[in-house]
Parts: sequence; C-alpha cells; structure tokens
Amino acid sequence: MSTGPGRFEQVYGQHVVGIYRFVYARVGNRPDAEDLTAQVFVRAVEQLDTAREPGQIAAWLYRVAQNAIADHWRAFYRLPVVGVDHVAPGWEPADDAPQRAATPDETASLRVQALLGGLPDRYRRVLELRFLQRMSVAETAQAMGITSGNAKVLQYRALRKAALIGEATDG
Amino acid sequence: MADERDPRAERFERYLDALLAGGRPSPEDVESGDEAEMARLAAEIAGAVRDDSAEPDPAFVEQLRLRMRAADAGLASVQVPPPVRDKAVEPAGHRPWRLTRRQLLQGAIGAAAGLAAGLIGVSVVPRTPADAPTLGGSDDLVAGDGFWEEVALLADLPPGTAARFSTAAFDGFIVNDAGEVRALSSVCTHMGCTLQYRPDWQDLRCPCHGASFDLAGRLANGRSTWRDNPYPGDARAYPIALPDLVRPRVKVQDGAIMVWTAQA
Repeated sequence: MSTGPGRFEQVYGQHVVGIYRFVYARVGNRPDAEDLTAQVFVRAVEQLDTAREPGQIAAWLYRVAQNAIADHWRAFYRLPVVGVDHVAPGWEPADDAPQRAATPDETASLRVQALLGGLPDRYRRVLELRFLQRMSVAETAQAMGITSGNAKVLQYRALRKAALIGEATDG
Repeated sequence: MADERDPRAERFERYLDALLAGGRPSPEDVESGDEAEMARLAAEIAGAVRDDSAEPDPAFVEQLRLRMRAADAGLASVQVPPPVRDKAVEPAGHRPWRLTRRQLLQGAIGAAAGLAAGLIGVSVVPRTPADAPTLGGSDDLVAGDGFWEEVALLADLPPGTAARFSTAAFDGFIVNDAGEVRALSSVCTHMGCTLQYRPDWQDLRCPCHGASFDLAGRLANGRSTWRDNPYPGDARAYPIALPDLVRPRVKVQDGAIMVWTAQA
C-alpha cells in the first residue's frame, strides 16, 4: 500500500508553513489565514493521493489553496459561493504558484511596492502610515495635519486608485 | 481640504480597522465590486508587511497536525473496509494488534457502560432478527485488522434519535434515521468544533460557524429540499463547501450497535 501511516503527516509538515504564508499574503489577517490553511489540509487528508510525486503534491495543495482564497473573496463580491473544486474566472492558479508561495512575501511585497509607488504622494503617504506603520486613523490624521474624516476619505480614494492601477497591471 | 466626510469611507474604515487590528474583517463592510477590489488590495498590502502574524502560530500548526492525524487515522478505518471477524476469539496471550493506553481506557469505559445498561434491565429486552435495521453492506468481506466495539443497544436508539459514542478512533453520534443506523463523526469538517444533535431538525449543527449536516453526514445549509420539505435549519447556504462527515462502519448484532475501529 502506498499510503502508509505518517505519510500524510509528512506532507503536512513539509507544506503547512508554506501554505499559511501563501494564504496570509492574500488575505492579510491571521484568523482567515488559519481557517483557509485548515480547509486546505482537511481537503488534502481526504482527497490527496500522497503517493504522487512531491512536485505534484505541492501543485495540488497550492491549487486548492488558491481556490479556497477565491471562494473566501467571493463573499466580499456578493457572488454565489461554490465549492473549492471550482476555479473562479480570473483566479486560475498560476503555474508558478508553488514557487511563488515559497517566498510569497517577496513577490507580494514587490507588487505592493509597485502599486504604492504608482500613487500620488498623499495617497501613498496615507497608506504607508496606516498599513506599514500601523497608525490609527486619528494618528494618521494628526501626522498628515488633516481631520480624521479626511483621512478616511483619503485612504478610501487611495485604495480605489491603487485597485484601478492593480487591475491595469494584472491585465 | 475641508472636513469632508463620506459614509462609504466611514463604513470601509470598519473593514480596514478590523484588518489592521489583525482581526477577521467582515464582508458586511464592503458594498460593491469596486470596494471588494479595494478590500482585496488592502489585504494584500497588509499581508506584505512582515510581522508576527505573517508566520503561522506554532500552536495552530500543532493543533492542526493533531486534527489531521486523527482524520487520517479515521479515514484509514473507513476507506479500508474492515473484515468481519465476529467470531474471532483470540487465544489468551496473543494479540494481533497492540492496544494503546487510550484504547484500553475507552474499552474499560465501554464495559462499564454496558454493565450499567445491564443493571437497568435494557439488555434483557428481547430482540428478534426482524428488529434489525438495514445497514447496507456491513457483512462485506474485507481486509485489514481491527475490532468491533459495542457503543449502544439498539433498544436504546429508537428511530429519530441519536446518541453520543466514543471509541478508540472516533468521537461521534450514532443515529437511527428511520430504521437505518449510522455512525457519524462529531467533528465539524470546517474547523473541528464538536457538532450538536438537534432532534427537531434531525441534523448535526456546529456551534462555531453554524454548519449543519444531515444524518447522512452531508452539509445541509441552504438545501432546498429536506425529506420533501425545505430544510428548516438554515435558509442561507454555507459560505464554503465542506467535506462530508467521516462515517465509521457500524453494524447491529444481537441487539447491540457496534462501531468498527481499524488498527493501522
């Protein structure tokens, strides 16, 4: 028999950190990253053939992770949710998913840097203060010499602008 | 600029506030497809910042490992169909498998429960073969080591009822679904919370995120039919697809409900 005891646990041990980082880079918070990571391995323990080659196992896991992330975001788009079997349009797993996941911080932060760099100064500044320095709205407003209401409007516009740039770059 | 306020920006700040506080942001604070794009981008920016939460919590990794180990062992006992060795009485001193301390302890608990049931007279209720519910292939000849463990008496489980059981491999429910006895894992396939049986709705519900499973172990939320009627438990579909509950093998023999435990 190809799936001896402990084989799955070996796969788990090899990939759990990578999958978590991969998911975290796309959802940006620990509770969701943990939920989705657990989903991936719950699915894997039931469906993954651990006798496959290591490369195929990694590709399978990251494809399931990518689909789970897509389903996670569907709730935000108010789209009907489908199973993680389904690949949402525009969310086809990239061929380089496993490689990207090995260093998600690098690729993701490059993309984020490029997006921030493409923004007008005030937009970039408000996002840097809030996201990189983790300032509150009040602190951000104070640092920029504006009201809290203005800071919220500014960050809203900055993200909208960045999303537009991001869409254009994604092609 | 003047003190400008925008209700959209105020609402969206609730999303950002949850995200940047390291919590779980809610889709409720996102109102359009454009804002969903913004939310995704914000998550990506937050996720690109190297801080503690960018790495998995060791406690989480360990907890999930234990869950996976249990699920893996449970599946092995379900997927490898067990042999029926009802008559097998091992010679003294010979055991084809080694029992763990936990299994021994649970065996002792099972024996105590059986004794208690006998004392209150349940086990002397006569049961004829006609009482035996359909069990679907429990007599298959199969391979693999293991043993049947008695978890309850059929007389104590009339149709439409359920009871908790615990064996070496499973914590779960045995249910009598209109004459058909099934064993179901009580571990929700979402995050591993313990399910609760709801007699009124004939389902197993998760107290953590509201998943409901029917008595065949399938996710029931949002289902349009439920024994010819709309499922009364949850009108809304569950936001993600969940795997079925694990179902260990079960059989009824001489009025006793037995659950299979496979030995790796």
